[in-house]
Amino acid sequence: MTSTPDLIDSLVADAQPVRRLRPPAMRALCWLLFAALVLVLVAVGHGVRPDLMLKLRQPVFFAGVLAALTTGVLAAMASFMVSIPGRSRRWLLLPAPALAAWISTMAYGCLTDWVSIGPDGLSLGETARCFATLAVTSVPLSLLMLIMLRHVARLAPAPVAMTGSLAVAAMTAVALSLFHPLDATVLILLWNFGVAALFLAFSGLYGKRLFEWVAR
Amino acid sequence: MSSKMRRPGPTLSLVPEARDPAAPDRGPTVPDTRADGRLDWSISMASAQAGDRDAYRRLLEAITPYLRALAARHIANRSDVEDTVQDILLTIHTVRHTYDPARPFGPWLVTIANRRIIDVLRRQGRSSAHEIPVEPEHETLSVPEANLQEEAVSARMLRDAVERLPAGQRDAIRMLKLEELSLLEASAASGISVASLKVATHRALKRLREVIGKPGNRT
Repeated sequence: MTSTPDLIDSLVADAQPVRRLRPPAMRALCWLLFAALVLVLVAVGHGVRPDLMLKLRQPVFFAGVLAALTTGVLAAMASFMVSIPGRSRRWLLLPAPALAAWISTMAYGCLTDWVSIGPDGLSLGETARCFATLAVTSVPLSLLMLIMLRHVARLAPAPVAMTGSLAVAAMTAVALSLFHPLDATVLILLWNFGVAALFLAFSGLYGKRLFEWVAR
Repeated sequence: MSSKMRRPGPTLSLVPEARDPAAPDRGPTVPDTRADGRLDWSISMASAQAGDRDAYRRLLEAITPYLRALAARHIANRSDVEDTVQDILLTIHTVRHTYDPARPFGPWLVTIANRRIIDVLRRQGRSSAHEIPVEPEHETLSVPEANLQEEAVSARMLRDAVERLPAGQRDAIRMLKLEELSLLEASAASGISVASLKVATHRALKRLREVIGKPGNRT
């Protein structure tokens, strides 16, 4: 072990000029622009669901997508804010109202019209395509978030990882709702909350290690 | 760990070091710790981000006693406090680009320091979960063999076992082991040769071991 003055000497010797981080709101905006770009690319590559215009006129569907989108935007803002030391931890609560709205539109949809199986039944092909969209949307978004927030590895990784993954999960849910004709309520629930729960659990468990791996 | 050697080093050498080069420009700010001190740290950090090594050194040396006090408030062990301070300094160095000079320096510093202090406390919690501090009262209370009552019981048992030995062996054990005479003294007192005493003691111990070692006799 070195003594503290020696440590200070070595730190001072290593003090290269550093580039300050931009304000967190602007960095969150950059991430959201990238997310929008990914959504547009997937829309161009895959095409939107055939009955999108029809579905968007249904208030419950529209409210659900809007709530998921808002959750994604606010969660992204929150994770970029909280990643800076000295900012209030209350920023973590920012996505909570939108998340509540998202959950309640889902619950309302479940209560009013429970569609156990869609018109064509449960098709495996659609599920596989859903997986493809899930991967194409969430992997780049997660990677960018991990890289942009890698400094948090030595700070408080778990809450930041959880809000960040909430943002990714909400964006992925928006993509799935817009691009895939999921009519069965079970499937909607699965693809929305299954993804969100999976991401949250994964980031809660492994967020610290992931950040340390990226920051190395 | 070389904590004992290290501990006096920084505290003694750091204080004059921190004051001497900085005395001219920091003279008025030192007595006024709060408001002016913070402003100064913020400006030093901004210059350090731009690569000013002198400002960086002044900042690190100025915050070290503060961090040490902060860590000592939560961590009792002095060498752990010094480790924590070094850990905080390293973290500050790694994430120094996240500081925004437009915002106050204090909350930024304290958040990072608390992070590392919590880490140390967690590590201590984990390691102390597997360790039991050994103190005098634990030896008598939690270890049954160390209890005085138990000692008395087994002493009586041993005395009874000695009583039941054949006369020659019993005398040999009494003189050599209980009264702790030497072989020559015991031989002179009893008139038995040294060799016979040795044989008798050996047989007596063997027999006692058999009697006491039986599972039924154990308490």
